[in-house]
Amino acid sequence: MPKKTQTETVTLTIDGKTVTVPKGTVAVDAAKTVGIDIPVFCYHEKLGPFGCCRMCLVEVEKMPKLATACTQAVGQDMVIKTDSPKAVKGRQGVLEFTLLNHPLDCPVCDKGGECPLQDNTFEHGPDLTRTEFTRYNRDKAVPLSPVVTIDRERCIACQRCTRYSDIVEQETALVMVNRGFQNRVQTFQDRPYDTRFSGNVVDICPVGALTNTTYRFKSRIWDLDNAETLCAHCGVNCNIVVGVRSNEFMRVQAKSGENSQANDAVDDGWICDKGRFGYGFVESSNRVLKCRNGKGDTLEANDALGQAATQLKKITDEHGPQSVGFIGSPYGTNEELYLYQKLFRQQLGTNNIDFKTYRQTPGLPVEHYDVGDIETSDMVLLIASDPTEEAPVLDLRIKKSVSFFDVKLAVLNDQKTDMDKPAASSLRYNVGSEAEVLSALIEALNDKPVRGLEKTAGIAPKQIKDLAATIQGSGKVCVIYNPAALTGSASDRILELLQTIGGLPDKQCGAIPVAPGTNAVGALDMGAHPNFYPGGLALSDSEKIKTLWGDEAPLQPGLSALEMIQKAASGELKGLVVFRANPVVDFPGGPTVAEALKKLDYLVVHDMLETETTQLANLVLASNGPGYDDGTTTNIGGRVQFRKRSLVREDHPPDWVLISRMIRALDPEAPSYKNSFGVTDEISQKVPGYEAINKNAIKGMGMPRKGSACSEVQGNGAPAAEKSENGALRLRVANYLFAHDKILDASSPLSHHFKSSTVYLNAEDAKALGIETGDEVKVVSGDAEVSAEAEVSDRCNPGAALVPRVSDEQGLMALVGDPDAAVWVQIKK
Amino acid sequence: MTQLLFKHINVEGLANIDVYEKHGGYETLKKALEQKPEEILETVKASGLRGRGGAGFPTGLKWSFLAKDVFPRYLVCNADESEPGTCKDRELLLKNPHLLIEGMILCAYACRVEIGYNYIRGEFYDLCEIFEKALEEAYERGYLGKNILRSEFNLDIHTHLGAGAYICGEESALLNSLEGMRGEPRLKPPFPAVEGLYGKPTVVNNVETLCAVVPVVEGGAEAYAALGTEKSKGTKLVSVSGHVRNPGNFEVVLGTPTSEIIEMAGGMREGRKLKAFIPGGSSVPMLPAGKVDTPYDYESLQAAGSMLGSGALIVMDDSANVVKETLRIASFYMHESCGKCTPCREGTRWLHQILGEIESGRGKDENIELLQDISDNMSFKCFCPLGDAAIAPVLSGIANFREDYEELLSQAKAGAAAE
Amino acid sequence: MFAFSETSEKEIEKQLVKYPPERKKSAILALLRIAQQQNGYVSAEAMEEIGRRLDLSPAYVESVCSFYTMYYTRPVGKYVIMFCINVSCHLLDCDNLLEHTAKKLNIQVGETTADKMFTLLREECLAECSRAPVMRINNDYHVNLTPQKIDQILDSLK
Repeated sequence: MPKKTQTETVTLTIDGKTVTVPKGTVAVDAAKTVGIDIPVFCYHEKLGPFGCCRMCLVEVEKMPKLATACTQAVGQDMVIKTDSPKAVKGRQGVLEFTLLNHPLDCPVCDKGGECPLQDNTFEHGPDLTRTEFTRYNRDKAVPLSPVVTIDRERCIACQRCTRYSDIVEQETALVMVNRGFQNRVQTFQDRPYDTRFSGNVVDICPVGALTNTTYRFKSRIWDLDNAETLCAHCGVNCNIVVGVRSNEFMRVQAKSGENSQANDAVDDGWICDKGRFGYGFVESSNRVLKCRNGKGDTLEANDALGQAATQLKKITDEHGPQSVGFIGSPYGTNEELYLYQKLFRQQLGTNNIDFKTYRQTPGLPVEHYDVGDIETSDMVLLIASDPTEEAPVLDLRIKKSVSFFDVKLAVLNDQKTDMDKPAASSLRYNVGSEAEVLSALIEALNDKPVRGLEKTAGIAPKQIKDLAATIQGSGKVCVIYNPAALTGSASDRILELLQTIGGLPDKQCGAIPVAPGTNAVGALDMGAHPNFYPGGLALSDSEKIKTLWGDEAPLQPGLSALEMIQKAASGELKGLVVFRANPVVDFPGGPTVAEALKKLDYLVVHDMLETETTQLANLVLASNGPGYDDGTTTNIGGRVQFRKRSLVREDHPPDWVLISRMIRALDPEAPSYKNSFGVTDEISQKVPGYEAINKNAIKGMGMPRKGSACSEVQGNGAPAAEKSENGALRLRVANYLFAHDKILDASSPLSHHFKSSTVYLNAEDAKALGIETGDEVKVVSGDAEVSAEAEVSDRCNPGAALVPRVSDEQGLMALVGDPDAAVWVQIKK
Repeated sequence: MTQLLFKHINVEGLANIDVYEKHGGYETLKKALEQKPEEILETVKASGLRGRGGAGFPTGLKWSFLAKDVFPRYLVCNADESEPGTCKDRELLLKNPHLLIEGMILCAYACRVEIGYNYIRGEFYDLCEIFEKALEEAYERGYLGKNILRSEFNLDIHTHLGAGAYICGEESALLNSLEGMRGEPRLKPPFPAVEGLYGKPTVVNNVETLCAVVPVVEGGAEAYAALGTEKSKGTKLVSVSGHVRNPGNFEVVLGTPTSEIIEMAGGMREGRKLKAFIPGGSSVPMLPAGKVDTPYDYESLQAAGSMLGSGALIVMDDSANVVKETLRIASFYMHESCGKCTPCREGTRWLHQILGEIESGRGKDENIELLQDISDNMSFKCFCPLGDAAIAPVLSGIANFREDYEELLSQAKAGAAAE
Repeated sequence: MFAFSETSEKEIEKQLVKYPPERKKSAILALLRIAQQQNGYVSAEAMEEIGRRLDLSPAYVESVCSFYTMYYTRPVGKYVIMFCINVSCHLLDCDNLLEHTAKKLNIQVGETTADKMFTLLREECLAECSRAPVMRINNDYHVNLTPQKIDQILDSLK
C-alpha cells in the first residue's frame, strides 16, 4: 500500500495514453485513472498487491516477460501495453487455466451478473476450453457459517478472503490449507467462520464461491433496486448498498469498489456482520405498523399525531411547560431529532429534552477528528471504549492504522478487549476508577508528581508516567473514548485531559467520542439535551438563542432523561414522548422505570418495534425508521451523511413528516417540507456548525460538520473511587455486539452469536467467593437479581463483576440505580 | 584432477573438527579475519564464483547488493536440496559439515552478518544432527559466537529444519518457511538482499556455493578464476544418476565435456547406448545423445538448449522412454506446485493429465500441440520459476524425442482401430 | 487434550532461542515436528496448543501444517517408509520395488499395516540420486535398494 503522504509523481504511457500518478502506484490503478480496465481477480486495493491469479498480465516495454499489472509499480517513462498480441494471449491462457476446473453453473450462481470471472471471461477469455477431463471435484455449497456459504468448486484460489482475514480483520480465521490444486479455503477443522466481519468475504470474492446464505437463490441481481445508504446500527454509519426487489429487502452489501466506491472517510469499504445480516427488524413481525391508542384501537396517522400534539399542549396549559418531556434516541436522524426538539422548545416551551442516560455535553476542547484521522495520527489513545463490540468497523480501522501506518495504540480500560492485542501499551484500571486515572494522567502530562493509585485504580504511577511520556512524544494524538462508559466526574476529566493534551507544545490533538447509537453526535448537535440548544448553544447564551429561536425560547434548564423518569414517578411530569427508545429495558432501574411511566397521565411512544415501553403507552405512533425513511446522521467522526431509504411505505408517513405535522398541529404557520432535505436546509439555518450541510454537499462521501466549542471544563481533581463494603463487587455492564434484543430477535440469522448471561470474575474474587467457571450464580443488588454463569478470567481487575448485556431478557439494568453512583453487587451461588 | 570441495571428502571422520583442522580446516578463516570484510567480498567477486544452487548468479555481486547500513542482516544457507537428480549438498553436509560452517563464517564476515541460519530440508534430519554437532565443536573452538578469534566479529549460526516442500528451495519461499509460513514464494522486488528474512537484508546461498567460498578465499581469486572457462569459473559438483555404471558425485572443472563426466561415472551400462541426458536437474531441458560432448559449463549448456542448473546429470540409455520419464517428472511438479498462482497450479495438473493419457495409450495427435501451447501459456507467466521448470522436460522431450511420443500415439490409434 | 511432554518442552526451549523473540512464529515448523515426534502425528489439539504457544490462530497452524508433506494429521505406523519415486529412482525400477514392498507388507501404498508397524508412502526426490533406488524409514536413509535388501531391512525392523 503506498503511503498516503506520497507526493512524488511519475508519468508513463499505457496503451498510448499518458498517465501521471503518485510514485509507487501499481499499473492496474494507474490504468484505471485513464479509463483502462485491466482485469484482475486476486488484486484488491485494500489488500495490496499479491500477484497470484496472473489475470492482469500486460506487456511492459524493455521487460522480457509479461508483468502482472497489479504488482508492477509504475516508473517514469514506462511504456505499458495491455492490448499487444503477447499480452492478449497471456491473459487468454490464464483465463483458460482459471476456468479449467470451474463449473459452468452461472445460470444458478448467485454471483451471476456481478461476477468478475464471468465479466473477464466475456471480455478476455477464450470461447472454448480445450480440456477433456472431468473437472476437479470439490465441495458444493457447504456452510462456512450460518450466514456464509462456500462453494469450493467455484473457488479460483485468489486468496482474497484469506488475505482479508489475515490483513484486515486480523483473525487469520480463514486460511488456505493443503497445496497445489488441492489447496482450499478453510477454517480450523471446518469450524464455523464466525468473526464479526465475516460477511465482507462475500463482497470481495471475485467468483460465486462465497455467498450470502440469507440471499442465496432469492433474486437475480439484475432484478434488484440498489440504494446506496447507511447502516443504522452504530455510530460509524458505514456506507452500505441495500438490494431490494419489489419493495422487499433482499440483502446488504458494503459500499465498496466492487459495486460503487468505498467511503474511505468512514468505513474503508468494510461493514460488520450486524450491519450485513442484522436487518431483520425492517420486516419483522414485531413491527409497529399502525398507530393505536392505549386500548389498542387503530388510529390513522394524522389523527394520532393530532391527538398527541393537542394532548401534550393541553397538559402544558394545565400544569406548565415543565410537566412534559421528550426522551429521544441516538437512533433518530438529525431531521427527526431536530424537529422533536423544535416541537418541545417552541410549541411546548420546555427544555425537558434528552436522548441518553450518561453524562455528556456537546462540544470538545479540541478538534473533533474524522475517522480517517486515525490513520494519520502518531498515536491513538483509546479510553473506556470497546470498538469491537460498540463500533466494530472502528476496530478494523485502528488495527489497520497500527499495522500499516505505524500508529501507536495505547489502551486505557477497565476491561480486557480485543484492542489489547494491537496495542503498544494497555492499562487496566479498576472498575469505577476512571476519573482518578484520568486525573493522574493529566497531572503527569503537566509534569506534576503522580499520586499513588495502585490500591484504588490498580495502576502504578510509573505506568501513568510512561503513558504520559508517549503522549508527549507523539505529534498527532487521536483520543477515542466512549462517553457512556465513563462514570462520575470522568466525563469532565476526559475533557480536561483533551484540553491538557491539546495544550502541549507542538501537539495536534483531536477526539472521537464513540457513544452508543447511530447518531449520538447528531443528537447532541440537534439539541436533544436539557441544557443545550442545537449547535451546542448553552442556555446561558441567551442572546444567540433568542436570535435563532425567538424571544419565547425557554431558557430554564430542562430535565435529563433520568430526571424525567424520577419526576414521572413523583407525579410532577405528566406527559412524555418516548421516541425509538425502550427505557423499561435499557434505562437504569428496569422495572422501576415501568412503574414511573405508568404514573404518567399521557405517554406517547413513537417506535418502529413493539417493546416493553410501547405496552405502557397511551398512544403509540408507528415509526418507519431506517430502511423506509430518508434523513441525515452525523457519525462518530462528525461526518454528516445521507441515509437514503431503500423501501417505500405508501400507507404511513415518514417520521420527519409525522413530527413536522405535530408541530403544524400546534402552529399552522410552521413550515411544511417537500422532502427530508427541506428539514436539512432548515437545520443548516438554525444549527451552528451545520451551515454548509445540504443535499449536494453531502453527496457521496458526506461532509464533516463543524464541531462546536466546548463549554467550560468543570472542576479539578477527582475523588478516589468508592470503597466496597462487605465484600460486594462493583458492577460493570459491558456491551456485546450481538445482543439478543428487539433489533436482533430470535429469527435473526445472527442468532448463533447470541450468548447466555455471564458474569466475569477475577480469579482473586472468585476464589474468595468459592466460585468456579461454569457455576450458576445470581448477581444481586438490593431487591434485583440477574442470573448468570460465572466465568473466572482476567477480563477485569479484582473487586469487580463484569456482566455483558447479552439480551433484553437478561434484565441487567434492574441492577443499576443512579448511573453516576457505583453499583455494588453480591455474587450468590 | 582439481579437487577443491572434495579434496578430503573421503577422509575418515572429516566431520570431526580435529580431523577437519588437521587437513587445514579453519586456516582460511584465520587468515581471512586479518583482512577487511570488503577485501573478502572483492576476492569472491573477482573469483567469478557463481551460485551453485541452480540460477548461477555471480555470488560476490549478490553479496554486494545487500542494502547498505541496514542491520541486523542475515545469512541463510539453502540446504533444501530437492531438485530431482541432485545429491551433492547431502554428501557435503554428511561428510564435511565444517567446510560449510567455515564458508558461512567467511560469507558472514564479508557481508557483516551476525546471524546465520542453515535451512535444511526436513528429510535431512540425520544431517541436521551432524551439522548441529559440528556447530557445537565450532563454538567450542571459538570459530562461532562472540568475538570470533578475537576479531570482534560475532556470528551465531542456527539450524532450521524444513518439513517437506520442494518449493522451499526457491529462496523467497525458503525465507517464508523460515519465518514460519507456508512455503509460498514472495513477490520480487524487493529482493532478499534488500528485504529478506524478517524484512531485513539477507544473503541466501546454496550449500555448495558457501563451501566453495573457502577454496576461493584460501587460494585467492586468481587461482580460482584460472579454472574453468571465460564465464564459468572454478569447479562444480556434478551428481550423476540414472543409467550409468557407477553413479556418484564428481567434482569437475567447469568446461569439462559432459561425456567425460559420464565416463567418470563408469560410462553406460553393458550393451546400452546413451539416449538422453538432463544436465542440470529435472527443471532443465533434456538433451539428446548427440549433445553429449557439450562442455559442462553455464554458457555451453545454454547454447546447447539446456542449462547447468543444480549440476544434476541424469543419464538415460536406450531402455528409457522419454514420455514415461516426462510423466514422472510432471507428476512431481504437480505435487510440488504450491498452488499460489493459477498457471502453475492448473497447468502442472493439466500437463500431467494429458501426458498420462498419452503414456497409457489413449493419446491423440493433437495432444502434442496442446502440450506445447499449455506450456507456452505457463512460460514466464507463473509467479515463480517452478512453472517454467515444469515445462522444460515437456517441451524438450517433444523437441528432441518426438519419436517416443509418436510411437505411443500410433499405438493408441492402433488400439482404437482394433476396438 | 494435548500437552507437550517434559522432553518436548526442553526441545521447544532449544528451538525458540534460535529466533528473535518477536519472531517466534519461525518456530512453528519445529513445534509441529516436536508434537509429531511425541505423539506420532499432529492432532487438532496439538495445533491449537502450538497456536497458543506462538500467538497464532489454530487455523493458521493448520494452514502451515497442511502445506508440508512431512506432518501427519492422522496416526501412522511405528515405521514410516518414504519410498522415492522420482526420476533417478524411476530409471532404476523403483516402481517394481515399491510394489514389492507393498506386497511384502500386504498393504497398498498410503496404508498402514494392521499391526500399526509400517506405513508406506510415495516420496518425491530424497536427494540421494546417485545411490538410487532410495527409501527413508523414519529418519534413516536406505540406498541402492534391491528386493533382497528391502526384505532384509523390513525383517530387521519387525
